[in-house]
Amino acid sequence: MGNDRSRWHRLFTHRSARWALAVIALLIVAAIVGPMLVPYPCNAQLDIIRMKNQPPSWSHWLGTDQYSRDLFARVLCGARISLAVSVLAVILSITLGTAVGVTAGYLGGRVDTVLMRLLDAFLSIPRVLLLVAVLTLFTPVPLTGLILLLGATGWFGVSRLVRAETLATRGEPYVEAARALGASNREIILRHVLPNVLSPVIVAATLGVGNVITLEAGLSFLGVGAHEPTASWGSIFLDAVDFYAGNWWAVFFPGVAIVVTVLAFNVLGDALRDVLDPRQVHVARALPNAKEA
Amino acid sequence: MLQSLIVVFLVTTISFFVIRSAPGDPFSYESSNISLAVRNHWRDQFGYNRPLVEQYARYVISVLHGQFGYSFGMRSSVAEALSIAVPRTLLLTMLSLGLSFAIGMLVGAVQAARRGSWFDRISSGVLVVFYSLPDFWGALMALLIFTFWWPVLPSGGIVDAMHDFMSPSQAAWDRIRHLILPVGSLTLLTVAAIARYQRSAMLEILPSDYIRTARAKGVPERTILMRHALRTALTPMITLAGLFFPALLGGAVFVEKVFGWPGMGLLATGAIAGRDYDLVTATVIVGSVMVVIGNLAADLLQMAIDPRVRE
Amino acid sequence: MRTHALLLTTSVVALAACSACSSKESATGGSAGAYGGTFIYAQIGDVSDAFPPYIEDQNGRMVADLVFDRLAQINATLGTVGDKAFDPRLAKSWDWAKDSMSIAFHLDPRARWHDGKPVTASDVKYSFKVHSDPKAGAVTVPLLTNIDSVQVRDSATAVVWYKKHTPTEFYDFVYQIMILPEHVYGSIPLEQLHTSPQTKQLVGSGRFRLAKWQPGVRMDLVADTANYRGRPKLDRIVITPIADANAGMAQVLTGQSDFMQAFPVDQSDKLDSSKVARRIDFPTIGYAWLGFNLFPPKAKSGTNTFFGDVRVRRALSMAVDRKAMLNNVFGPSATNIGYGPFPAAVAYADSNLKLPPFDAAAASALLDSAGWRMGPNGLRVKNGVPLKFTILSTTTSLFRRRYSVLLQDALKRIGAQADIDAVDAGTFISRLNGGDFDAVLGTFNPDPDVGGALQSWGTKSIGSSNWMHYSNRTVDALLDSASASFDPAKSKSYSSRAFQQIADDAPAIWLYDVTLINGMNRRIEPARPISPIGWWLNLSDWSIPADKRIDRDRIGLSQPNP
Repeated sequence: MGNDRSRWHRLFTHRSARWALAVIALLIVAAIVGPMLVPYPCNAQLDIIRMKNQPPSWSHWLGTDQYSRDLFARVLCGARISLAVSVLAVILSITLGTAVGVTAGYLGGRVDTVLMRLLDAFLSIPRVLLLVAVLTLFTPVPLTGLILLLGATGWFGVSRLVRAETLATRGEPYVEAARALGASNREIILRHVLPNVLSPVIVAATLGVGNVITLEAGLSFLGVGAHEPTASWGSIFLDAVDFYAGNWWAVFFPGVAIVVTVLAFNVLGDALRDVLDPRQVHVARALPNAKEA
Repeated sequence: MLQSLIVVFLVTTISFFVIRSAPGDPFSYESSNISLAVRNHWRDQFGYNRPLVEQYARYVISVLHGQFGYSFGMRSSVAEALSIAVPRTLLLTMLSLGLSFAIGMLVGAVQAARRGSWFDRISSGVLVVFYSLPDFWGALMALLIFTFWWPVLPSGGIVDAMHDFMSPSQAAWDRIRHLILPVGSLTLLTVAAIARYQRSAMLEILPSDYIRTARAKGVPERTILMRHALRTALTPMITLAGLFFPALLGGAVFVEKVFGWPGMGLLATGAIAGRDYDLVTATVIVGSVMVVIGNLAADLLQMAIDPRVRE
Repeated sequence: MRTHALLLTTSVVALAACSACSSKESATGGSAGAYGGTFIYAQIGDVSDAFPPYIEDQNGRMVADLVFDRLAQINATLGTVGDKAFDPRLAKSWDWAKDSMSIAFHLDPRARWHDGKPVTASDVKYSFKVHSDPKAGAVTVPLLTNIDSVQVRDSATAVVWYKKHTPTEFYDFVYQIMILPEHVYGSIPLEQLHTSPQTKQLVGSGRFRLAKWQPGVRMDLVADTANYRGRPKLDRIVITPIADANAGMAQVLTGQSDFMQAFPVDQSDKLDSSKVARRIDFPTIGYAWLGFNLFPPKAKSGTNTFFGDVRVRRALSMAVDRKAMLNNVFGPSATNIGYGPFPAAVAYADSNLKLPPFDAAAASALLDSAGWRMGPNGLRVKNGVPLKFTILSTTTSLFRRRYSVLLQDALKRIGAQADIDAVDAGTFISRLNGGDFDAVLGTFNPDPDVGGALQSWGTKSIGSSNWMHYSNRTVDALLDSASASFDPAKSKSYSSRAFQQIADDAPAIWLYDVTLINGMNRRIEPARPISPIGWWLNLSDWSIPADKRIDRDRIGLSQPNP
């Protein structure tokens, strides 16, 4: 326990982690409260003839889009949706990944082999292609469906991580001792395996959020993500991307929002990795954290 | 080797069922001018009205014979359409992978050697920003800057419309010009990751005993860096290359869309929208096969370079 | 390693193929004469199919119109009754039988296929078979039902026999069938025609020949110098597919491409101030609307609970400021507002119809009187049913996307909630055909005759193109009278009455006529008049004045490197 406290302490004094945490906190606050504070509702078309495609100004900090909707408001509303979608999807991913990884690592043998082959297969399918295919062929897919799909395609790397960690833990002497003392499998998993698995999973989750935000935006860019008038960061893109040469601010600012958010999560993830699990620094162990397709 | 085959087989099965279980079929969307009788006739001809399991069996058999079906959108066999598109995507991804590795490893090595210096800190910052860029946004911004505001590069495509009439040197330069932005966009994303891993790998190795010994023996710093440290870091980096392939393929989908590069990614998205089922299935399979081959090659390369590695 | 290999190979191949190249650049022709010029067309989307019986999209249509010929070509007045609006093509002249049940077409003796063989009457007979036999599955099958057969009287005369004498019988046969060479495609069994790779080799009789086709990269059409109508003024047309409108815009503004259809309308001021390109507008015969499904999805018959009520439809129509939306989407000086269930370019168009005016207050009042009371959250409710529906739209059409968002907002203001369901083109068509939608942003591109209106709004067309399931017997009768009449003036009075009735029934909100706003290089001289059914139809008469030519115009007729 004393170990943990010092680890958290290290996190908060880690230089880059501090500003990353600050940015994320600001984002969450902005996402929850922001839309209520902005003078223009997210989806209000103010004056479709005169107010369309206005460049940034004092009354519209980020300008207006094609339909004369204020971009600043839309980016704030988009924060809500993008963050919610990503966080939920990532939670699903790590849950699935942990479950499968622990099963494979703990049970070993035939189960492990089968699961690993399946995992290899899933890992080699380009994620974007699969998502586009499913989202297009089974259209229309509501937001919940999108979240489920994103979660269901993102757990493979996590499960590999968890499996490795489970295997390592299983061989530890204190686990052998616990087993000799008559502890059940469930107890061993809950008491020993999961806590060890927690650190790399948290790191993976943090990095995963950034990944999913980018992915969701990309899917909307391809036309298969969130639907009108739902303003996720990706769908704001879709509106503007036809003629962005003329109103580049409608494409630039949502992009900047995404970059800043993903950056914050990545920096936080890095810091977490440094703090929680310095062993992870080694490249071979860090491989499963590589960006998935 | 056998494992790879099993993986490919699994991928085939998964993609087949996912795609074919979608509502409708390739013929339900043809223009309303085509009568129902004609459509049913085609359904029959191509076997879309058989039970799903039977369709699967027939598909697997045809794949084993090297037949991947017919593409209605491209009006040619799937194999032919893919054989044209896949090399184009490979060109992008391979160039990008090569560039990313060359630049990434160099930068990472220098960062490790000069740990804590201003170079290290600033380049790390820049790299982590690159790492956070959405694939398509980087490409869009590049397009905006270099095609509209400062129009020095072409806005898309593989070659200029008048490419065939250019002199050989003009034609070569034309090809390069068209490659710059797409490859550049793809590279941005991967170079950051590679540099980061290279840096941490090198940082792990540099304090180790044999390096210290070499230093004590008076071997020049640069030789230590290049010869010893780099070589040791090479092994995990090669495995990394294999892992980056799916990410690059995914990124290629976006980059090909933004730049209109007629490779696999563009072919796939077009096929999906056009309900060209055989083409979609085949693309997913080919993509996976490429990944599997990439991993295999990485494994083999790893074993060749570093005989200490055993699986 | 890969780069080097590729570059090396490319250089070697180019060098090898281009060993005679050095003289090519300064080739003769195309420099100072009346003939010459390279026209580069930046086309959104690729050409998937250009073989006439199977063409479904505009890109394929354009190529076919340039490479193949019809017996006669309809001119820009689009008169579909009789043969007055037709200019001779492969048929130099034609004779009507006294009872008008057959027409004998005399082929132009100079007409040749691109491979040199003469065009004969058996080619005409073969072409009819390919376009009408259900085994080949051509898209034209249902349009040729009135034609009984084609007879070869001699090698230069083909006679078509009709089942009934109708006002558009000439148009039906001549417009729908492009003449194909039997000696090239005849050996392919009809069932396999659809998938045969041989149909990618386009051999026609048009003024342009297919020189090279690289899917996804480009298509080269070269002037047919031995053509029976004389060679076109341009040397070559290069069709290069582009990713999207932005890429095309960049290409046109930098002079890399010469023409882009559907130039981003917001950016058209860039064209006005450009020294390289200019704006040029072309009419079409497409018109766009927001249509209401007049019976529930997947039901066999009956009327939709709220769209069945004409008061609701009229109220929704009155909630929409069509002019403002037009100005938002098409620019402040746009004039292509929808006038009713027809495009403005057809002969029977009537711009004087009385349409529901824009009056949000009246719309609300009408909904109130129909029993739709405003609920607490701004949504109207009647008998527990909220006024909520989906608008079916596509992901690819820019104008649909724009309008769907604008309409959603306008309807919200009078208490109706419209959710947008944007799908890909394929799903869109299949859901339209299946009646699986509430409201839809659709377009009709009708045939230029009154029969086209019947295809969209006639009771008999329910199940094919009458996607809204609109049925009004009076309208049917009036349109039948209009299409059966041989007197254009009388025909128009019938059709106007029919259209007014449709407008009163308000099965759709008439949004805009599809107008093409294009960017074209200033050195290009298009030929007038531009036909609304295809701006490319007279491309063979377009030219580039000698004093305006640039390097690529002077290449001449030499073939590109393989």
